[in-house]
Amino acid sequence: MIIPVRCFTCGKVLGSIFEEYKKRVYIDGEDAKKVLDELGVRRYCCRRTIISHPVFIKGNEVKEPIDEAAQYE
Amino acid sequence: MKIQFLELKDDYAKVLFEETSPYFVNAIRRTLMADVPKLAIENVTIYDNTSALFDEIIAHRLGLIPLPTHLDLLNFRDECSCGGKGCPNCVVHYTLSKEGECTVYSGDLRPEDPMWAVVDKNIPIVRLLKNQRLILEAEAELGRGKEHAKWQVVNGIGYKYYPIIEIDMEKCNLCEDCVKICPRDVLEIKRKKLVVKDEMACNLCRSCVETCKKDAIKVRGDEKRIIMQYETDKSLSAKDALMEALKALHHKYDELEKALE
Repeated sequence: MIIPVRCFTCGKVLGSIFEEYKKRVYIDGEDAKKVLDELGVRRYCCRRTIISHPVFIKGNEVKEPIDEAAQYE
Repeated sequence: MKIQFLELKDDYAKVLFEETSPYFVNAIRRTLMADVPKLAIENVTIYDNTSALFDEIIAHRLGLIPLPTHLDLLNFRDECSCGGKGCPNCVVHYTLSKEGECTVYSGDLRPEDPMWAVVDKNIPIVRLLKNQRLILEAEAELGRGKEHAKWQVVNGIGYKYYPIIEIDMEKCNLCEDCVKICPRDVLEIKRKKLVVKDEMACNLCRSCVETCKKDAIKVRGDEKRIIMQYETDKSLSAKDALMEALKALHHKYDELEKALE
């Protein structure tokens, strides 16, 4: 799937936050805790939604399951 | 009753209410969640969708996108003078048209007037591969949080009593157990004295009281002073959301008064 627009539990908008999180954590290799704090993700419900979202790392690209699924129409 | 903003950002507020009661602040909390009007996409007409996601999922994702809400310019659709048909006073139109290979973002929604442009332009809606297309039209209208969560302006709202921490220095033996166990780093030892560093950070968990063998700490909450904090999704600013909540609450009591007369 693609990242949820909002946190399942509290409703905070996470879609735009995840775009930056992906870049900084999976490509630049920054500490996930630090990035989440800086992006203003305070509650643990939002944090688990971001942390547990699956990604595939292919070289310099971070792909989500939807990228794989989109190939098979 | 006194009110003081301890922290106020565009989308976050921490408010201290003084000389009040939990019942009153809870009424404000519930009104903020359920009764503040907000704009969100309600009807979507899909002309072409060859993406990997179903029409319904795309419509659902569009509905959750926060839109700028100018409450002075909009009416509720069912209360509007057009009789619910949909006119510029109650409905805002958006269009979206994209062809792959690309990611469709919330910023690709084109409003009829630039003042309705989506606040957060980086929310991914769907990923398109080569030759995949998404063409649609969307209608946004006002709603309230009690109808659907997409119309809920505020999230993560809660309140706590103002913490009062009392330390009995005659009993304290400076063992530092309480300093170590505190999850919020409220206590510290300064010049051989146990002092409170930041009392407002305390969440009244009382683990310091439980760990103290000498019974030197007492923690309680002041019911007359309440700290409330909340975030908004940027469709309204934190201060505007609180003002709208108070207006909604006021309106309810007015209706009750009229009914009584």
